[in-house]
Amino acid sequence: MIAKKSAPSWKQWVFPCLVGVILLAYPWVLGTVYTNIFIYFAIFSVFAASLNMLVSYLGVLSFGHALFYGGGAYATALFLDHIEGLGLFTVILIGGAAGAALGLIVSPLLNRVKATAFALLTLALGQLAYMACLKLRFITYGEDGVGGFPIPDLTLPGIASINMMTAENFYYLAVVVLSLCLLLMWFLTKTPFGSIMIGIRDNPDRVDFLGFNLPMTKAIVFVISGFFAGIAGAVYALFQNLVTPDGAFHIMTSFTPIMMLFVGGIGTFAGPIVGSGVMTIIEELATRYTTQIALFNGILLVLVVMYFRTGFVGLYLLIREKLFQKESS
Amino acid sequence: MTDILETKALSHDFSGLQVLENINFAVKQGERHAIIGPNGAGKTTFFNLVTGVYVPSSGKILFKSVDITKAKPYRLNRMGLGRSFQITSIFLKQTPFQNIRLAVLSKNKIRFNLFRRVDRMDEINEQTHEILREINLEQEAHLETSTLSYGKQRSLDFGMALATEPDLLMFDEPTAGMSRDESQTAVELIRKLTENKTMIIVEHDMDVVFSLADRVTVLHHGEILATGTPREIKENAGVKKAYLGETEV
Amino acid sequence: MDPMTFILITQLVHGLAYGMLLFLVAAGLSLIFGMMDILNLSHAYFFMLAAYIGYTIAGMTNFWVALLLAPLVVVALGMVIERFMLRKIHPFGHIPELVLTIGIGLIIMEFCKAVWGTQSLMLQTPEILSGLLNIGVFRYPLYRAFIIFFAVAMMILMGILFYKTRFGTIVRAATADADMVNALGINVPLVYTVFFGFGTWLAGLAGVVVAPFLSVFPGLADQVGFDAFVVVVMGGLGSMSGAFVGAILIGLLNSFGIQFLPTAAPLLTFGLMALVLSIKPTGLFGVRQ
Repeated sequence: MIAKKSAPSWKQWVFPCLVGVILLAYPWVLGTVYTNIFIYFAIFSVFAASLNMLVSYLGVLSFGHALFYGGGAYATALFLDHIEGLGLFTVILIGGAAGAALGLIVSPLLNRVKATAFALLTLALGQLAYMACLKLRFITYGEDGVGGFPIPDLTLPGIASINMMTAENFYYLAVVVLSLCLLLMWFLTKTPFGSIMIGIRDNPDRVDFLGFNLPMTKAIVFVISGFFAGIAGAVYALFQNLVTPDGAFHIMTSFTPIMMLFVGGIGTFAGPIVGSGVMTIIEELATRYTTQIALFNGILLVLVVMYFRTGFVGLYLLIREKLFQKESS
Repeated sequence: MTDILETKALSHDFSGLQVLENINFAVKQGERHAIIGPNGAGKTTFFNLVTGVYVPSSGKILFKSVDITKAKPYRLNRMGLGRSFQITSIFLKQTPFQNIRLAVLSKNKIRFNLFRRVDRMDEINEQTHEILREINLEQEAHLETSTLSYGKQRSLDFGMALATEPDLLMFDEPTAGMSRDESQTAVELIRKLTENKTMIIVEHDMDVVFSLADRVTVLHHGEILATGTPREIKENAGVKKAYLGETEV
Repeated sequence: MDPMTFILITQLVHGLAYGMLLFLVAAGLSLIFGMMDILNLSHAYFFMLAAYIGYTIAGMTNFWVALLLAPLVVVALGMVIERFMLRKIHPFGHIPELVLTIGIGLIIMEFCKAVWGTQSLMLQTPEILSGLLNIGVFRYPLYRAFIIFFAVAMMILMGILFYKTRFGTIVRAATADADMVNALGINVPLVYTVFFGFGTWLAGLAGVVVAPFLSVFPGLADQVGFDAFVVVVMGGLGSMSGAFVGAILIGLLNSFGIQFLPTAAPLLTFGLMALVLSIKPTGLFGVRQ
């Protein structure tokens, strides 16, 4: 059976509308602190989803995804710092373009290696970026980072100019931009190109012998993944109004989306988003009792890898299946 | 008729160990050609050289008179050389439909389309179903491939090779590891699929070879021992000695 | 002796000492990968844990007891992790293994911070090794000479273990073809566990030895760990001679780099790693990915 095209019913609109209403009301109901937490969650959803394109669709693990994220963050911050009068969407796209460009630059290297060597090479590239960021003070200002740059207003020509310095306004911007990113990535998996990506994960040799150019296909995936990581970095830079080597390029910045991906569940599209949500909530709760959040993260990671390789999404599917069986029997 | 595939003085060694020596081989357009030989004769190496998995130590390979000695697999496929794999090489976690569709996408040169949903490409999906019908997998089209029987997985492998509509199809021991029944079904399927097509089959099983091939080449210790019709090969004394002499050990 | 020569010789010996330490850490990492196909990202954290435990034991008794006992503690931990965790997830491929070892590394790191704090701790150099070594006009801290001597001794021990004992023969055979050795009636999983313990032991020894040299602090694992990765990648995953050459190279690069190119030295290390991986993914001496 091909996916049945059922007549559009009002039911399938209930869930999206509900999500829309919640997203709209969120900052007014929960206040500034939780609004900022949500923005953080949204940024990392996109960052983790961009990593997921490599892990779940190409079957390789990147230990240096901060390269693209940090590259996007620094590009946005530096452009705002040096050039006046840039538009809001322009600088976000600059962040994405920086991530994409870095993806393009490293793709010839990444195409030469697979499996463990891939993980190690990305680790080296990520660390290289971190060190370069610390040492090239005349561009990056070293440890101090780039901060205090002007955040452009969102101008809708002839209609309004919206200040982005308030948490609520920025929240709506982040939600719109990042939702759009997730939507685009989801769509990508449904295109013919998405089918080829999944094929590469399962059996690259066969994909090669079906007439697809493997290095070129992978390079495009690196560029796209870099682009979205760069956008996430750009939004992060605008959100913090400060980028530092530690925030942008540190090894933990690369590890965080990996943890989110595994906690959420690899091999699914929703995994990184769910993982980002779960990790954000855990972090928020844990900080009330301890400063050692990394300990919780480590334990969670070990438990997930040992006992729930399908992550929270897998857990949800399992529970749904169990419930469904009970109903039918 | 012209030669579709030709090898000239093809030799290959693995770090000093000579596996193939001075192979001059040709397959004509429209011919079903089998390559046989005892274990270790160099059949699979030959297959891998032609399909671009290895680059030969010396010699030349011509496909449609174009030098393909160093061509990458994806180039070969685009030039019209299709292959099945000895160890079934399919996408196990996906459905047969998705497997075949990937091959159909390649045939239609849809390689970097990021802008349309693939399940709304009716033409592609129609072609996919056609192939599934041909290889008798319509019933199982939307099951996970890993749940299918070995014979059906092999059919799917053939189907993928076929779906790119190659000018030359290469089969590497297509019936290896199959039961007698499965093997017969597979042979029938191959016969049907390769009707009026050019094919090279590397095979161990004599029954399969003699029922499928128009011409047979015997490899022995990395060299060509004989080439001829199945009848000629059956009666060739040298082949009998080499083949039976060693298989009985 | 003119000052330049003095600086050069000092940096040379310092580089050799650090290089030999790196070799001990990298050797375990590389051996485990070569035999079991596992890249243990928590390896450097075992190394750091041993340094901390060594610090505590040395405080209660002395350096030599610490050198004996602290590595054994991490060996036990390593073997438990291999037996009950890594072995279970090995069938699922390299990605879960990498992620699991990250998780273990994070836990060890936080454990160390919780128990020993974030201050830099200095383990006293044992009295017998605390003086200066006089070679002609040249004087050098005895402890650094001891590090070099100790690492060379360990190297010889490893050589004997691998090429002169039954365990070594089994290990080398199992690296080449695990199924075959299994079929011969040898308990390969047990060999793996013991072997994993051995690799961890090397890291543990390095940890205790490093404590008086670099002091013990939470960043130690990352600093030495990254260098060890570079060593293993450069030398080739699984290659002993590769690990040795790589370790000496990185040790020297580190000490001379910091002396003459303080800005570019860290860039150089990772740049070199990226370069080697991109040109020859198997490393200088490696044969497989």
